[in-house]
Amino acid sequence: MARSVGGVRGERDRIYVPYLLPALLIYTFLFIAPAAVTIWYSFTKWQGLGTTAHYNGLANYRAMLSNSVFLTAFRNTLILVVVGGAFVFALTFLTMVVMREMRGRSFVRSMLFVPCILSPIAIGTAVGFLLNPDGALNQVLSDVGLHSLTRGWLGPDLIFKCIIAAVVWISTGFYVAIMMSRVDAIPEDLYETARLAGANRLEQFRYITFPLTRDALSTGAVLWVIGAVKTFEIVIAFTGTAGNPPIQARSAAVEQYLAVTGGVSGTPELGSAAAIGVVMFLLTAVLVVALRRLLRSEAVEL
Amino acid sequence: MNPSTDDLAPAGTGRARAAKRRPAPAKRAIDRLDGLLSGAVKTGLWVWVAMLVVLTVWVVVTSLKTNGEVFTDPFGLPKSPQWRNYRLAWSVSGFGQAAFSSVTVVAASALLTMVIATPAAYVLARVNRRSADRVITYFAIGMGIPAQALVVPFFLMSNDLSTFMTEWVTGWWDDRISLALIYVVLSLPFTVYLLTMYFRSLPTEIEEAAAVDGAGPTRTFVEIMVPLARHGLVTALVLNIVALWNETLFVLIVVGDPQQRTLPAALLELYNTMQYTSNWGGLFAGIVILVMPMILLYLWAGRRIVQAMTQGAIK
Repeated sequence: MARSVGGVRGERDRIYVPYLLPALLIYTFLFIAPAAVTIWYSFTKWQGLGTTAHYNGLANYRAMLSNSVFLTAFRNTLILVVVGGAFVFALTFLTMVVMREMRGRSFVRSMLFVPCILSPIAIGTAVGFLLNPDGALNQVLSDVGLHSLTRGWLGPDLIFKCIIAAVVWISTGFYVAIMMSRVDAIPEDLYETARLAGANRLEQFRYITFPLTRDALSTGAVLWVIGAVKTFEIVIAFTGTAGNPPIQARSAAVEQYLAVTGGVSGTPELGSAAAIGVVMFLLTAVLVVALRRLLRSEAVEL
Repeated sequence: MNPSTDDLAPAGTGRARAAKRRPAPAKRAIDRLDGLLSGAVKTGLWVWVAMLVVLTVWVVVTSLKTNGEVFTDPFGLPKSPQWRNYRLAWSVSGFGQAAFSSVTVVAASALLTMVIATPAAYVLARVNRRSADRVITYFAIGMGIPAQALVVPFFLMSNDLSTFMTEWVTGWWDDRISLALIYVVLSLPFTVYLLTMYFRSLPTEIEEAAAVDGAGPTRTFVEIMVPLARHGLVTALVLNIVALWNETLFVLIVVGDPQQRTLPAALLELYNTMQYTSNWGGLFAGIVILVMPMILLYLWAGRRIVQAMTQGAIK
């Protein structure tokens, strides 16, 4: 029953369709098609189950542009993506400067990664407790005589800054891991030569590490955008679902959640929830394409 | 010498020459600054790690305190550990039920995802057809579509499914089944993509030898490729378990009955009742119950998780 390798390939071609089909059909009809249907819903006014959807054109989008609550949510999301991203990657670069030759580096690396596998709800609940007005942080500050520094960390003025800080604190480890796994692949003798020539760590970063990790940076930045646009759990954990989160704290995803569920007592607005989803997709797409352009570089082969 | 080292020449020769031409004290000052900066960053990294450890220990310690101790002495040790916090969280605050929901929903959806994604990824990796590349790109697009673009249709579909099953088929329905199905759909693009890349990294000789020996393609896949790809399959499974264990948005939207919700939602629910019940020790016990399985998983498969999440990302 000996067969040739060519025959084997032919047989494998026979299983191509049956093996692929279940995944392809599920993905097409339950992922791509619903995403497309969302676009249709976004042109309707629909106040939830049991009522009918009425076509109302671009009204949901127009309302978004004039409604200050929506605008705040989108501005917050954008700030989170840009400012949070700047912090995440600044911290990642600083780490890359020193981590290669740091003692205990693999331990530090695996520890920094831990927050990304933990529920943001759990982290937000614990940290939120520390940040409460009569919480532990303010108590410690007054105990050591820094009473002037105590504030309502989760009050309307500061809460979004706290959310950004928390997101940065949670996610930086992931980007450090991505970038460092690329740094690991850089041959040691490049650094050796640079050191002999008198280049200090910043120069080594500038002329070796940075150019040789450009492609990983581009991927990392794209992943950051995809993840950060969706920020939801940490906001909910800081503010709770019992009441509507303060407007200053809301992200686009939180605003959408409130539109689907109707918030505390309001009516659901499925049409505008769909429109928020569409805008979030567009925001992701535009930012990803822009980043790809911005960070495009010829791959440096080693 | 390859071209890239030429690109890097400034780092070596040119820069070094420039540095040598620079007056010595200036160079020394810059180097001192450089040393200072890296010292600061290293210290910062250790402080970061210390914060993580302290926060974790603090959460565990707080989960064993009485309500009074939580507030009067937030950073001290409990007089006697209050294990009843865990008992109460488990039975009274519904963490037992929620843990059951989490384990069943996550296990069912993660396994079903593998069953659907593995054969697809295998043929996509092995079949030399131009359409295969297009299909891979098609799946990759799904990784860039935010779940928020699916919230409204999934909300409606799960409602319709529930009504349909209750009225026409079974007479009952459990929203957790809808949730598990949604999880399968959401995990599919990433899993297919990751596994395709993994199958591509495996050598083709073994399966070709098997086929020449008379094994049909199905037997080759089940008896040779799946065991051979064990490592990659377990990694994909673990990554999906981590992601689904922490998922919160669709639980809140799809599962109507709070009693049937998973652990992150149960924790939120308990947090929201704090102002009436102030069972703070129980709240922290809940945090530990939610987080501990992931920490154990990380201790067991940490390197694998990090590798797959980062390298899967880069490829």
